[in-house]
Amino acid sequence: MARAGREAAYRELIRRYERPIFALLFRMVRDRELAEDLSQETFIKALNAIESYRPEFKFSSWIFKIANNAAIDHLRRRELDTLSLDGSPHAETPEAMQATALQIGARQESPLDAVEAKELGGAIEVAIGRLRPEYRACILLRHVEGRAYEEIAEMLDLPLGTVKTYIHRARNELRQALAHLKEE
Amino acid sequence: MTPVPGPHLTPDDLDAWLSGALAPAAQAHLAGCPACQERADTEREIVAMLGALPLLSPPPGFADRVMARVRVPEPAAVGTLTLLRRRAFATRRSMAIAASVLVVLLGSMAGSVVWTLGHQDTLAAIGSWLTTQAGQAAWLGVRGVASNVIEQPWFTGLRTLAASPGRLGLALALTMLAYLGGILALRRLLALPTQQVAHASA
Repeated sequence: MARAGREAAYRELIRRYERPIFALLFRMVRDRELAEDLSQETFIKALNAIESYRPEFKFSSWIFKIANNAAIDHLRRRELDTLSLDGSPHAETPEAMQATALQIGARQESPLDAVEAKELGGAIEVAIGRLRPEYRACILLRHVEGRAYEEIAEMLDLPLGTVKTYIHRARNELRQALAHLKEE
Repeated sequence: MTPVPGPHLTPDDLDAWLSGALAPAAQAHLAGCPACQERADTEREIVAMLGALPLLSPPPGFADRVMARVRVPEPAAVGTLTLLRRRAFATRRSMAIAASVLVVLLGSMAGSVVWTLGHQDTLAAIGSWLTTQAGQAAWLGVRGVASNVIEQPWFTGLRTLAASPGRLGLALALTMLAYLGGILALRRLLALPTQQVAHASA
């Protein structure tokens, strides 16, 4: 009976978070099957370690943190080349940023990008896909999931100032990437 | 051309503007600076585009696939019983020990039932004595509390108040109001926070 109750509670948690977690992971890794695998991994990890969850924190923050770690780990393993217009996120001076910046157009839109764009819904999705993963996670959590800066900092284990910088740079990159739409 | 007051908007200012909390000085600058207006409008468009991104769902059966790989723990009592049963049947020696414990437990229970049936008068006498003792102790307690209350300095005032039904009614009404106010305040304090993220509950 108690076991059945717990199972029902687990299913309710999955029902409540499967869409936002899957959406975040899909937009992070840009591969539907992989996103499903990582989403499963996220829920399995979270539910199997539910005893270690501390109720003083939001469950959503905890599960988003696990999901983001899964995505970042995967992207690091895959050693994805990322494109940044502003250079390294750790660069402090304009010179350092310029030295570490990649040129726009360094990555041409591949046929896969086109398929993804069609599936995901357009230019904004392609532009998000070209952000470096740290920026992508921050901007998605902030403006798609509606999380507060402080919560994102806690989820991603980053200082609050860094989160703000990442989000500003991400918006800057999106603005530049979407500028052609405005000109048309 | 009218000079635009103040410096250009910073990224933090743009955040404040997006959330409708831009400082009046920055607001004045924004109103007169076409460059900042264009930047702010673009930021708002991007944020709107991000907010309008479609919700994506995992394939059907996702929850079943997850649940198939999740360990749902047994409740603590069931787990302990399972462990005891497993240990009791592990070896011949453990089985013998378990059987002995069972015999002792069942034997003592049967013995107590037999003794009770054979000594009903003794049990009734013990019960009656215990009831008397408990009654006396309760009465002593009530008397102790009453004499303690009577000796309090505020008791005379309370007695005067009780002598006037009007004042007593007013005091009771005020007490009830204070109590209800406290309950309402507690409810507000203990209210669950509202769901901030539409997607999370979708």
